[in-house]
Amino acid sequence: MAGSNEVNANECKMAVPLHTWVLISNFKVAYNMLRRPDGTFDRSLAEFLDRKIPANASPVNGVASFDLIIDRTTNLLVRIYRPVPNPNPETASIPSFLEDLSGPASPDPFPVIIFFHGGSFAHSSSNTTIYDALCRRFVSLCGAVVISVNYRRAPEHRHPCAYDDGWTTLKWALTQSWLHSGDTPRLRVFLSGDSSGGNIAHHVAVRAAESGIDIAGNILLNAMFGGIARTESERRLDGKYFVTLQDRDWYWKAYLPEEADRDHPACNPFGPNGTPLDSLSFTKSLVIVSGLDLTSDRQVAYADWLKKSGHEVKLVYREQATVGFYLLPNTNHYYEVMEEIKSFVSSNC
Amino acid sequence: MKREYPDSVTASSGEAAAKGKLPASAQSQEEDVDELLAALGYKVRSSDMADVAQKLEQLEMAMGMGASASTAQVTDDMGFFPETVHYNPSDLSTWLDSMLTELNTPPPPLPTPSRPPPPSSAPSFDPAESSTVTFDPNSISQTDPSRERKRMRTGSGSGSCSSSSSSSLGRGGAATTIGSEPVNPAPVTAPGLQVVVVDPQEAGVRLVHALMACAEAVQQDNLKAADVLIKQISVLASSQGGAMRKVATYFSEALARRIYRLGPPVGPISDPSTFDSFADLLHMHFYETCPYLKFAHFTANQAILEAFAGCKRVHVVDFGIKQGMQWPALIQALALRPGGPPSFRLTGVGPPQPDNSDALQQVGLKLAQFAHTIRVDFKYHGLVANSLADIEPYMLEDESRDGEPEAVVINSVCELHSLLAQPGELDRVLDTVQKVKPKLFTVVEQEANHNSGLFLDRFTEALHYYSTMFDSLEGSNSSPTEPQDPGQPDQVMSELYLGRQIFNIVACEGSDRTERHENLVQWRGRFNLAGFEPVHLGSNAFKQASTLLALFAGGDGYRIEEKDGCLTLGWHTRSLIATSAWRVMAA
Repeated sequence: MAGSNEVNANECKMAVPLHTWVLISNFKVAYNMLRRPDGTFDRSLAEFLDRKIPANASPVNGVASFDLIIDRTTNLLVRIYRPVPNPNPETASIPSFLEDLSGPASPDPFPVIIFFHGGSFAHSSSNTTIYDALCRRFVSLCGAVVISVNYRRAPEHRHPCAYDDGWTTLKWALTQSWLHSGDTPRLRVFLSGDSSGGNIAHHVAVRAAESGIDIAGNILLNAMFGGIARTESERRLDGKYFVTLQDRDWYWKAYLPEEADRDHPACNPFGPNGTPLDSLSFTKSLVIVSGLDLTSDRQVAYADWLKKSGHEVKLVYREQATVGFYLLPNTNHYYEVMEEIKSFVSSNC
Repeated sequence: MKREYPDSVTASSGEAAAKGKLPASAQSQEEDVDELLAALGYKVRSSDMADVAQKLEQLEMAMGMGASASTAQVTDDMGFFPETVHYNPSDLSTWLDSMLTELNTPPPPLPTPSRPPPPSSAPSFDPAESSTVTFDPNSISQTDPSRERKRMRTGSGSGSCSSSSSSSLGRGGAATTIGSEPVNPAPVTAPGLQVVVVDPQEAGVRLVHALMACAEAVQQDNLKAADVLIKQISVLASSQGGAMRKVATYFSEALARRIYRLGPPVGPISDPSTFDSFADLLHMHFYETCPYLKFAHFTANQAILEAFAGCKRVHVVDFGIKQGMQWPALIQALALRPGGPPSFRLTGVGPPQPDNSDALQQVGLKLAQFAHTIRVDFKYHGLVANSLADIEPYMLEDESRDGEPEAVVINSVCELHSLLAQPGELDRVLDTVQKVKPKLFTVVEQEANHNSGLFLDRFTEALHYYSTMFDSLEGSNSSPTEPQDPGQPDQVMSELYLGRQIFNIVACEGSDRTERHENLVQWRGRFNLAGFEPVHLGSNAFKQASTLLALFAGGDGYRIEEKDGCLTLGWHTRSLIATSAWRVMAA
């Protein structure tokens, strides 16, 4: 059902800077061509259109990256970013990751951020340029090692593949001594993601809590949740700011098991089929919500649910922000949210 | 109608959004590209930003995606652009234009989408069948440039013919300047050090570390340390398995040659006499074992097919014909095109044979037989040349000057990089190509910079490149849970083939060092300077190559990517080979 009948295309353009409008509209238009009504996806065209960037073991702005296959059976690849402060010209020829992979724990604590890129479970990869840029930003911001997971995507790989890949990554990180740090070295790990990545971060965090694995914190950016019933913001904002209910429904249909509906717990963890979190030692969360994202009230409800379940939550609600604001450093939303992330990481590391 | 936008917190580079376009000079184009979007992979001129926004809006409206999309007609997601071929998605403005054009004009009768060539990449020759087949002996000829030098005629080789090429114009570079070119690589930024670690076990990492340390010692002329490290490497390698051990062995053999300089050949790749006689055989095995060359041929052929659309007489010049494996598929595709095949002339360039055998003739013969069986009018001309720089335009000229002009394509698969070993050679070749004025110049090269003047940089690049390459050979020939039987002959031959390249990159210098691979960014710089502009490969070629790959490659890790109108094939996230297409810049 449409939102307000006063359709004003200019509203959207007024809400965001020109660059953001161009970038997100480009995705909107391109993605529209990839989704087929029968639920299939034009993967070939998707890969053709996606802008990608290689890893670079030579530091750029103090950050170096390399790709790693951590599971041969599923070809699960992660891109690892690390800070390379003041590269020594003498030894700079040998990329530092070589030291890393075989190295011991570090006495100085540093955060490790496992990042799940967005794309509504169907789009993007760990080497997609917008996400490479975001991960590099996180490294500089937090002095973190960032591990960006190239999880399997829908519709070719449905639930729970993405969660499984996230879980595999977490378990792998636990075995890597070079990722451990501090006086009593341990993995100081944060789970984070935007859109579908936020959804994945939540579910991996649940598994971690169930397995007694300590997570330092969750950072969710416009996490993707849904449900059968339409919420107020979904009705009000449908089609207004780049996103429609129709496309949301398509992506859930592509990700969830074939017979499932949108009250499946993957989609709606605090809905009728969800599992309570009260008895779990679930991690602390930083939940960042754009007011102009049509699922904003679901995300706020998520934060409420965590709080009511007895878990620490900080909700950062950016009333005038749209989806994707964190992709371009051109608004106050961007800078202020980055600061929130930085202080959340440093106080919980 | 100007739209008002809230101010950005940070200003982006470039001029204010003026409506007029800037004059098309390369420099201002480059400077005007918006930095914010460029950092995310999109090239939009600052002065075009508002225009691009407007086009996006138009497109959204046309696709029924306006603000009330959810109540609007059900968006038939496939309805709008089922046949559209997309090109160079980084260039948003042009990409949007192409879709708007398609929406605004009723689609013309589409040229038949080029069908993928049939699966057999190797031509099936059956001599028994051909005993009753006669072919025109005049269809095969061979010349040697050294004898032809007296025939110094000027004039370009090909005319143009009308065709519906749907490729978009790439942006040109600076004016043509052909000077003598230094042996040093072109001064452009390479994409950095790409590493895909597939075997993160500790021993593998220590091995890489030792190799790098050894290379560093060699660069510093610390041969004592290098000697110690070489021995360490062989110990580490012996406890290693799979691709990493093989790569380490080849690299250390090459390092050893560099360290012990005057020693006898220490292994199969350092003995040129035994190697070169098998070069063709090894090349053939490499072709069969893994998809890189098949991808190269396939994507180049796609571009050639498009370039030849509507042309009745075509001429392909293959800068390195070898066994002619690229051509049966093209000949077949031409045979199947609606309206029938053109008359097809092929000039195959190859080096002189030490035993004076007529290898070029043999290849031509087989291709002629094949063409005959599928009724394609075929002529072949073998051109023996020590170096591509020996080729003069007149050698490629259309002999029969009457009737329809010939459409020419010049095709080079991994033949240009060796020219960089001799000053001026690449220039001469590009000059010749310019003079021939082909409809298309298809180029395939290894996607790597193995031509750095600094030994250690070259070594590092090559180590990571070939590690990935070897891993793909390993990965695609076995299931993940069953280790590869190490004795597979095809794979061993392919590894030897690659090992020879490793040896050349690491142990050779000067004019001996012929494996001077450079990446797309570098080649683009060279071609721009020489007066070429890109002809983009599109989503149709991408899709068909992906389909072919899925059918034949077997390995899950292969990836095709689109980069600035070129297509690359790589292993996981690392591009290893790139196909690009060029034409002479319009004056």
